[in-house]
Amino acid sequence: MATADAREPPAPRRRRLRLDLTTPTLLGLPLAWLVVFFLVPIAIVSAYSFNVYSLDPGPHGFTLSAWHDFLHSSIYLRLFWKSVKMSLLVSAIIVVLAYPLAYYLALSGTKRKYVLLLLLIAPFLTSYLLRVLAWKVILGDHGVINSFLFWIGRDPDHPISQLLYSRFAVMLVLGYIWLPFVALPIFVSLESLDTRLLEAASDLGASRLQAFRKVTLPLSLPGVFAAFLFVFIPTLGEFVTPSLVGGTSGYMYGNQIVDLFGTGFPDWETGSVLAIFLLLVVAVLTVVFARFLQPRQVTAD
Amino acid sequence: MDVALSKNGARLLRAFFCFVVIFLYAPIVILLIFSFNDSAVPTFPLSGFTFRWYRAFLENGDLRGALETSAIIAALSSVGAVVLGVLASLALTRRRFRGKAAVSALLLSPLVIPYLVFGISLLLLFHRLGVPRSVLTVVIGHIVISLPYTILVLAPRLDQVDASLEEAAFDLGASRLRTFRSITLPLILPAVVSAFLIAFTTSFDEYAVASFVVGTRVTFPIYLYSALRFPSQLPQVIAVAVVVLVVSLGVVIAAEVGRRFAERRFAA
Repeated sequence: MATADAREPPAPRRRRLRLDLTTPTLLGLPLAWLVVFFLVPIAIVSAYSFNVYSLDPGPHGFTLSAWHDFLHSSIYLRLFWKSVKMSLLVSAIIVVLAYPLAYYLALSGTKRKYVLLLLLIAPFLTSYLLRVLAWKVILGDHGVINSFLFWIGRDPDHPISQLLYSRFAVMLVLGYIWLPFVALPIFVSLESLDTRLLEAASDLGASRLQAFRKVTLPLSLPGVFAAFLFVFIPTLGEFVTPSLVGGTSGYMYGNQIVDLFGTGFPDWETGSVLAIFLLLVVAVLTVVFARFLQPRQVTAD
Repeated sequence: MDVALSKNGARLLRAFFCFVVIFLYAPIVILLIFSFNDSAVPTFPLSGFTFRWYRAFLENGDLRGALETSAIIAALSSVGAVVLGVLASLALTRRRFRGKAAVSALLLSPLVIPYLVFGISLLLLFHRLGVPRSVLTVVIGHIVISLPYTILVLAPRLDQVDASLEEAAFDLGASRLRTFRSITLPLILPAVVSAFLIAFTTSFDEYAVASFVVGTRVTFPIYLYSALRFPSQLPQVIAVAVVVLVVSLGVVIAAEVGRRFAERRFAA
């Protein structure tokens, strides 16, 4: 584009090259890209889960057997439930932690609220893996916390070894990673709150707590729901953090999917079922809560 | 009287805010400290100051290669995502057409798909088509996941641009393309730049999708992930971590400051 700008073609030629940016011209490329590289791949995985398509040689045709096995297997469903509980807990805790942060930024009248907001969010915009690495360094048996404890006199033969490779480590790291991000949608919904409503409540004799419960909180709930979902959805399908800091007790549903597609005992058919099931759960959640996920709320400056 | 917070409430919240910020930055500071620590394992007590981990990382060809591969992939995919994002945002903000809600839902849906599921889906697609995995297959995947982010940045900005400016240019005989180049693009340039940066950093940092469709040239996150399993490389990796974290924090802050500055100037 830049080079085309530099050498402007003569006027008559420009007439001939006149290109109308019609709706199909504008939408054709983005939509085609998403159909070919987003929808079709998902369709292939679904086909795989019904054995309509398979890499295995030999006959294959439509069957529900992989789905049947999945829905009757206690292992996969229990693992899914465990992941749901872990994600729910992480999301709930960090939403509760992020709310006062967002409240402080939006309503305390501080002049530097955008600077402080950037300070809060900046870690989220840096490398995900490196932040996991930091916790690996901190939590390990010979990590920062344990070696610090040895240094100040704890017996080096007995490190606190539950710190790393545990369910706790997975939830701590996930919470650490997502906390800055959660504050954003809550901040946006609190910022757009009309403070005259609070003045009115106060004039009518409501205490600050009453005004918060009856006015502020209900009006900020869309932001809270959006924040919750924006964490819950990605953590539910998480596999990187558990594989790095989770050990066996932090193993999540996502790890199971990766292993089914991995090199050990690959079972792509079952893996496809697990993947599509996760996708369906996420899709249902997104549709049900779509009205809270107004994109504008997330993109506000 | 402040209706939202009492004085003590504000003080309490400020203390809590400071506490959380310390919690968020402490791990990064700890990495910074240990990147200069003269010991092969990151443990207390600290054992002296050294630059050798930074030197080791500069001399590590694999690591530099991985950074280079990631930079190439991020550059290609962010340009692709911004081009597609501008086209889609123009359609969403300037055109009326049937099924707009469905179209915008589709365009934004990569935001909520678990990347793990998307990575597997792409893997099966390339398998089915017989396309060998390479830098290009990662670029294709990263364009898909960056596209909604670019739209979320570009569409609101396009909404703010007065469409009558474009109509005026059109009435004066400029083609749609020329109108876009001379009127619309300069006005949304700050948003284009920040969309580009968001797409770039998204791609540069992306592990899940890349891990399924990457070829023999590994990306930086994939290199990191495997290095995390070998403790001997840990100090070097910490040094790189510090460099990458500092650079990305710098870029983020510079981009934000630049965007605010530019938008204020345009608004005036």
